[in-house]
Amino acid sequence: MIDAPLLRDLGFILVAATAVVFVARVVHIPAIVSYILAGILLGPTLGLVEVSYSVEIISEVGIALLLFIVGLELSLEKIRDVGRVAVMAGLGQVVFTAGGGLGLCLLLGFDLLASVFIATALTFSSTVVVVKLLDQKKELSSVYGRIAVGIFLVQDMVVIVAMTFLAGIGEANDVEVGEMVRGVVEAFLGMALLLLVAFGASRWLLPRIFGWISNAPETLFIWALSWCFLLVWGAEIMELSLEIGAFLAGVSLAQLPYHGDLRRRVHPLMNFFIAVFFVSLGIRMEFGAALTVWWPAVVLSLFVLIGNPFIFLWIIARMGYGERTAFLTSVTVAQISEFSFILAAMGLAAGVIDQETLSLIGVVGLVTIGLSSYMILYNHRLYEWLQGSPILRIFGAREEGLERTGRESTEHFADHVIVVGMNSLGRLIVEILVAQGEQVLAVDTDLDKLQGLPCAIMLGDAEYLSVLEEAGIRDARLLVSALRIEDVNRLLAYRGRQFRIPSVIHAFEESVERELAGLGVAHLLNSRVAGVDQITRELQKEGVFGP
Amino acid sequence: MTGVTVLLLAGAAGFALSRRTGLPAIPFLLLSGVAASALISLPEPFLEDALILGVTVMVFVAGIELNPGRFRLQRKAALAVGLAQFLVLGAVGFGLGLLMGYSEETAAYLALALSASSTLVVVRVLQVKRQLFEPFGRLVTGVLLLQDLLIILLIPVVTRLHHGAEALVSGVLASLALVALAAVVLRWVAPFAVQRLAGDEETLLLVILTILFSFLGLANLFQLPLVSGAFLAGLALSGFPVSSLVRGQLKTLSDFFNAFFFTALGAVLPLPTAPEVLHAGVLALAVLVVTPPLVAVVAERMGFSARPALSSGLLLSQTSEFSLVVGLQGVILGQLAPGVFTVIALTTLATMMLTPFLTTDRVTWALVHRHPFKRGESLEKRPEDHLLLLGCGRNGLTLLELLVVTPNEVVVVDDDPVLVQYIRDALVPALRGDVSDVEVLRAAGADRARIVVSTIRRTEDNAPLLAMVRDVPVLVRAFNVEDGEWIRSRGGRPILYSEAAAQDFEEWYRTVWKSAAEATEPKEIPGES
Repeated sequence: MIDAPLLRDLGFILVAATAVVFVARVVHIPAIVSYILAGILLGPTLGLVEVSYSVEIISEVGIALLLFIVGLELSLEKIRDVGRVAVMAGLGQVVFTAGGGLGLCLLLGFDLLASVFIATALTFSSTVVVVKLLDQKKELSSVYGRIAVGIFLVQDMVVIVAMTFLAGIGEANDVEVGEMVRGVVEAFLGMALLLLVAFGASRWLLPRIFGWISNAPETLFIWALSWCFLLVWGAEIMELSLEIGAFLAGVSLAQLPYHGDLRRRVHPLMNFFIAVFFVSLGIRMEFGAALTVWWPAVVLSLFVLIGNPFIFLWIIARMGYGERTAFLTSVTVAQISEFSFILAAMGLAAGVIDQETLSLIGVVGLVTIGLSSYMILYNHRLYEWLQGSPILRIFGAREEGLERTGRESTEHFADHVIVVGMNSLGRLIVEILVAQGEQVLAVDTDLDKLQGLPCAIMLGDAEYLSVLEEAGIRDARLLVSALRIEDVNRLLAYRGRQFRIPSVIHAFEESVERELAGLGVAHLLNSRVAGVDQITRELQKEGVFGP
Repeated sequence: MTGVTVLLLAGAAGFALSRRTGLPAIPFLLLSGVAASALISLPEPFLEDALILGVTVMVFVAGIELNPGRFRLQRKAALAVGLAQFLVLGAVGFGLGLLMGYSEETAAYLALALSASSTLVVVRVLQVKRQLFEPFGRLVTGVLLLQDLLIILLIPVVTRLHHGAEALVSGVLASLALVALAAVVLRWVAPFAVQRLAGDEETLLLVILTILFSFLGLANLFQLPLVSGAFLAGLALSGFPVSSLVRGQLKTLSDFFNAFFFTALGAVLPLPTAPEVLHAGVLALAVLVVTPPLVAVVAERMGFSARPALSSGLLLSQTSEFSLVVGLQGVILGQLAPGVFTVIALTTLATMMLTPFLTTDRVTWALVHRHPFKRGESLEKRPEDHLLLLGCGRNGLTLLELLVVTPNEVVVVDDDPVLVQYIRDALVPALRGDVSDVEVLRAAGADRARIVVSTIRRTEDNAPLLAMVRDVPVLVRAFNVEDGEWIRSRGGRPILYSEAAAQDFEEWYRTVWKSAAEATEPKEIPGES
């Protein structure tokens, strides 16, 4: 298709992803599953694309950006109160799932070493899949979202330890205990160091240096990304997962007032990179001997889809959380992780597992990621369906729990007026509206311009739909733009029409008046006409028009 | 991940230096890339991929920005100035290339590299100086967009020069076929797809990128440079509302890949030899010497007065980021020696760095005062005790109509020749000139007027007026409160357009909005037309 290999691969990946997403939308297949299906089409089915070094890098950048966004969303305050449950549930589930998986594999006739590999592969859930879906549902900040993210990060640490052990087993069939212990100690020391750097910088360094460039959005964005990849690099050097590095980078910036704006800016970039990640996941899947392993695949998929959530339900309910939170959190772990494929590939390379087992893990991965995506997307409906049924009570879930006292921080605006652009005109309009008793939300890209206003404020660029969505445009009663930026004003007039919200737009130039009026704005703020009227009044005072 | 981190850190350093010095970011990004590669060795395939992805996104976004509506009012002037600069600088580049001993093919590349100015740098300067929407700001924007278009259309021609006439014709035909396809997508496909997906940003981004990669695939099929495909894909998305809807999605991609592109470019640049530095110096000097007078002369012929015409010339005195694209394209195709690419990069770096120094008011005024053909207009007799209206515009005409029926003598100064003629036809004394020029102010009798009213856009341009006029009431248009304070501190009386517009809003709110909201659902309030 294209001579440059990277562009050729990306071309195939993006065109296939778009085509499958469009077809899959008809039957409500989630985007993630569509991406993986596109990958299966391009890789195992047609053999058009292989995951090259650069595609691999792009995928990793996608994962890093996704976790960076999660970190930006979850400040220290938000994760502190779920720390305990995350550690307990994360570790508890590892023990129970690994034990159950090992027993099942032995029962299915696998030898001990293969059973250890398969059980480990079944144990870990996919941080990327779940976080992407929670982000899509805008539920990252919910109690169950925060617990889930905490659990996945604990699991990431366990993965590092597990990889160290399994690499030791795989390398020589001659276990070097000293090496393994050293690896584990190094991992924990690295984690401690990274935490120290992230939170030390968050406290003393980042507010100062980001304050210096806060009114230069482009620079702020590149600096934030640099910080993210610096910690990812640090994590890589200390042989920790890039997810941990990116997450800590995000959390350390989440305390700054620009974190919401940054999150919205990083989002489109993440969407591009993460789509490549999911398609490449599909490309990598191996189904060569899938037909011969269908029976164990069904058993193990059911174990992950049903057994894993119930193990969680039991643990989380024991931590004092209510039925709803316990259920919603549990549903998030019903799939295996992308690490499982890496583990399986390691096992095959070391000769511990065969091609059939590799295919088995591929099939379980596809089935569990696909079905659990539906479970997560429709988790509230699923809960309502099961609510009050004895099946939840058997595992000790109670109706009321700790989360009743927790904070649900999502601020929702309704029946309000959004005023974009806090120049002198914007500030005056805000004052007028507040004096009239309106609920006003002021939006600007410069934090300094938002200071001292008598209303709610939001730092953000109104060119992003996500900013307007968060500003509650769908439920607003009026949209006002005082900006002197032609393109953005035109877009805001269009958005007003799109969401059927009356808009008042600043027509600061003659050339844009007709176009804005054509977009159906409720009122054109014509500052030049109003200004000339003011001059006329001043001249009248000077007696120019006679006594 | 080392490569990504190093390039991003270099980007962060480049932006920091740009902010610290107030100079454009691109040269610093290039230099940061050079420094990064000196410190850490980055794998060549990674840098090549970063460059290819970066250039694709940059050119694609440039295509999306190609909205003729931005310079509609200055269309003819933009066409004249843009073509003149493109052709003359191109000829100078070609001639100098041959004189320096390069082959005709290399000289053609140099011609193309010298023929356009930098959209990224100039638009930034105009934004900082709040001149983007001034008539000459629109002129300059139009010139830049035209040059971007020309350079992209000519890259396939230059790259096929040594393949003979047949290859050239087939290249032009293939380009035209892609342009036609872009027009079809622009007219029918993009509005349909993008508007249907306006609420689903993730899928919208996929569709945008699919359009980009489809054009890249077709460009490759037709053996056209990838940048042509990327630019035309952007062109296919440049209509309203498509361009506005996708801009939000592409902004961060563009910021990220631009930083990536320029730092990666710096990382692959070979260190220059002495002759290469010399050649770059000569080319940079040619750009700096030829562009300002050339642009000023053409702009003045198109009706601009001396200062905006010279400002335009000074603003356009640098080579473009597209010059780097041209050089990179030549190197990728093996038609350009890496050393020549270094020459192009050094020329771009030097001219971009000088832009902020050249575009200061001080330099502009120094040139205005030395202008050999400056037409000093004057009235038959120097007016006295009159009403002086500085800057008129369409809204000013309403005011003028009110003033001319008073017993006062009214004098108007504006730099729009058409408007000045229109006012003169109505038998009102009018001068065409720059209201920030002391000589023009003196000719208009500013210091002897009864009242002076200034409605010019940029507050700072009133400084000479406020310094000259002491005992005359001076009403000055301003928008922000800070500008009002500035005017007051210099003895003027600010007329705050923001306050006036806010009063207008309050009136509308009380009379239309509130009463309609009480009577019906607010969402049913009809629009104005």
